[in-house]
Amino acid sequence: MTVVSCTLKNERKLPPCRAACPASVNVQGYIALLQQGKFKEAVELIRKRMPFPAICGRVCFSPCQDACSRKNVDQPVGIRYLKRLAADIEREQGRVRPDPIPKKRSKRVAIVGAGPAGLSAAYELARLGYPVTVFERMPEPGGMMRYGIPDFRLQKYVVANEIAYIQDLGVEIKTDVEFGKDLTSDTLRSEGYEAIFIANGAQLSRKLGVPGEDLAGILHAVEFLRHVSLGKYVDVGEKVAVIGGGNSAIDAARTSLRLGAEEVTILYRRSREEMPALPEEVEAAEREGIEIHFLVAPKQITGEGGRVKTVECLRMKLGEPDESGRRRPVPIAGTEHTYEANTVIPALGQLAETSCIPPSLLDERARAISTDPLTLQTKSPDVFAGGDVVTGPASVIEAIGAGKRAAVSIDRYLTGQDLRTEREEKVEETTWVKDWQKITPKPERYTSPHTDIGRQKVTFEESEELLIKIKEVAMFEARRCLECGPCNECLESEGLCEADKAVVEETLCIGCNVCAVVCPSGAIKKNESGVAQVDEDLCKGCGTCTATCPEQAITMRRFTNAQIITDVLAALGGGPS
Amino acid sequence: MMFRPKIIGFVCNWSLPIGLDLTRPGMMGGHPKIRIVRVMCVGRIDPAIVLDTFAKGADGVMVVGCHPPDCHYIQGNLQAERKIEMLKKLISRVGLEPERLRLEWAYAYEVEHFRKIIDDFRDEITMLGQSPFSAEGRNTSMLLNIEAAKSAAEDFRLRVLVGREKELIEERNVYGEEISQEEFDETMDDAIDSEYVRNRIYLMVKKEPLSVKDLSKHLDVDSRTVLRHIVVLRQRGWVTVDKVEGTSPLYTALEVGR
Repeated sequence: MTVVSCTLKNERKLPPCRAACPASVNVQGYIALLQQGKFKEAVELIRKRMPFPAICGRVCFSPCQDACSRKNVDQPVGIRYLKRLAADIEREQGRVRPDPIPKKRSKRVAIVGAGPAGLSAAYELARLGYPVTVFERMPEPGGMMRYGIPDFRLQKYVVANEIAYIQDLGVEIKTDVEFGKDLTSDTLRSEGYEAIFIANGAQLSRKLGVPGEDLAGILHAVEFLRHVSLGKYVDVGEKVAVIGGGNSAIDAARTSLRLGAEEVTILYRRSREEMPALPEEVEAAEREGIEIHFLVAPKQITGEGGRVKTVECLRMKLGEPDESGRRRPVPIAGTEHTYEANTVIPALGQLAETSCIPPSLLDERARAISTDPLTLQTKSPDVFAGGDVVTGPASVIEAIGAGKRAAVSIDRYLTGQDLRTEREEKVEETTWVKDWQKITPKPERYTSPHTDIGRQKVTFEESEELLIKIKEVAMFEARRCLECGPCNECLESEGLCEADKAVVEETLCIGCNVCAVVCPSGAIKKNESGVAQVDEDLCKGCGTCTATCPEQAITMRRFTNAQIITDVLAALGGGPS
Repeated sequence: MMFRPKIIGFVCNWSLPIGLDLTRPGMMGGHPKIRIVRVMCVGRIDPAIVLDTFAKGADGVMVVGCHPPDCHYIQGNLQAERKIEMLKKLISRVGLEPERLRLEWAYAYEVEHFRKIIDDFRDEITMLGQSPFSAEGRNTSMLLNIEAAKSAAEDFRLRVLVGREKELIEERNVYGEEISQEEFDETMDDAIDSEYVRNRIYLMVKKEPLSVKDLSKHLDVDSRTVLRHIVVLRQRGWVTVDKVEGTSPLYTALEVGR
């Protein structure tokens, strides 16, 4: 897929937000559209890059926001909030039903796993015109988005809506089909699928590795969450101990609270700074009354009558950094202490289920599928793999990125192109701001509405339900964007600014430099002969230089003075207003 | 018949109220009370365009950009503010009430505010009545005046002052001297006066050769001042002596210099 860009010269100069996004969503672009109140267009722009605006607007760990330049002035722009709001406003006007994409290609593609990676690949391939079938083991598509994230963070209908959009495009999803049992790569080939993308995720829970792990009342977080998502009631009892510090641990703890637990404790072996969970989720959990004990790790679990009774823990201290860069917890001898618990939920992460994968595709340790990191191709040329099954448990947006990458490879494979050419993405981060002091601080105005804890604690309703679903607030927030990148991000250039750029008439330029003084984005510089030069990658087309140049040596490519005067005349001639 | 003012609104793309859909800049209409010409940024408003708009008979011109310190283009709105201040001085010399030109700030989401500023401005223009430049009222000397103002706004001196104002006041000039706002305003007022008169002189002698005395009478400016301007205009190569009538030289315009 080519990027339709109005800055034609260098489209790999990206604002930090987009450079940080695994799915390369045009953050700056949709924010620019929101600034103009174009909510629908903003969502459509997100959909050019990935199919899950509403889901990512809720659960994305938003690397874009971490990268946002605004943090140098006050706080980063509330990008996730904006994305969610745009998607919600679009949905308020009824479900969007796209027209099916004509299947102009004949080669069929099979995708294993209807999670974010598989569905994103399906979405991209369907948009290229391939007939795509997605096979899913569970009764409903969505993967971890449906079975791993509880309702109070991500409602099922949100997932269902966005998947329905993909289905409307013509993607076929077959559920209750298990890879390795009901079908294999060989049966898929014999059915005429010419490329296979394996994205069945990481489903196996990592073991605690302590005595007592097989007692009744121990339920691994992902399985626990899956049970609840399937609508099964899980009796957690009064006291619940969750072990781990990731989002699954927080989700499991908050879910236990909603299932009636009186006392929920999270035990984490490192300190707060090392927690991989989203800080706002951790805060929400604490507000709901969940206690988090840091620097403790279970030594053994004891039971009574075959059922969990206590978790015996050791205190930890932080030692040298390990391979993840976080400081390794080291147990302190003699600090044993116990927690009573009716249910223990280990949430230590997941491993890929490899038993269903042909052994020839696995790496030497047989832990994961081995793929080319650039193309996601496996040892079988027609089989590709990506998402958690390859990387281990990661995030929705990273899975989306993998799905998109696989889609490009599959398209190239099926059309006989080289898989590797021009794949090395040389992304150059850019921002025009040179002096952060000069930007007027404008702190965020929306408040994260984790209020009314009393009600939230007992319901599975979205706890981050926006109390202020007001366009004004969104547009205010959108206006905090500094627009670091070149002005090619909204991809609306044809209808909007017509990709206007300043043009210097060199023979008229006297090198007075006034244009450079008034240029907001530092796009104008004098060259060796003292003549102004416009850097089209930086020019945002505002035209201030044209309106200021003392020698009228700068004009705009499209909206010249003559053009504006013509418009004025047309406006004046339109009869009395 | 009730007076229905013709108002042109130059509105920046980012201030255009939501709901008004003008699909591209420069598109007119879209609003019942103001004829909107969309621009990407109000910084784009060339002073000469505003003068032209008045010359073509607009009763009022409103420029709407983003609230400072915000601007989609960082400081385009502040650039516009300087241009508008200069323009107000210039149009008052032409014989137009400076109130006919107004700069307002709005965000796209402030639909109610946008309505209010338009209503306010419309009321003001209705009170001021028809512009002297509307088709019925205008005469050749007025047209010459506004033409002179437009030329002044297109020339180097005013443009460079407007463009450099912020830099000069905030940072110091090339000689390292600090310049106060008052000093700057004085320079600016002087520049507006002189450039306006010089352009009128130029346009007058372009039509027919005139002496300093004739010019002084036409311009209602004392002959010493006129002579001073003539000296500058000769240096610039805009005018030259056509012939001498009695003891008075008659001046004429040079096309080449402009």
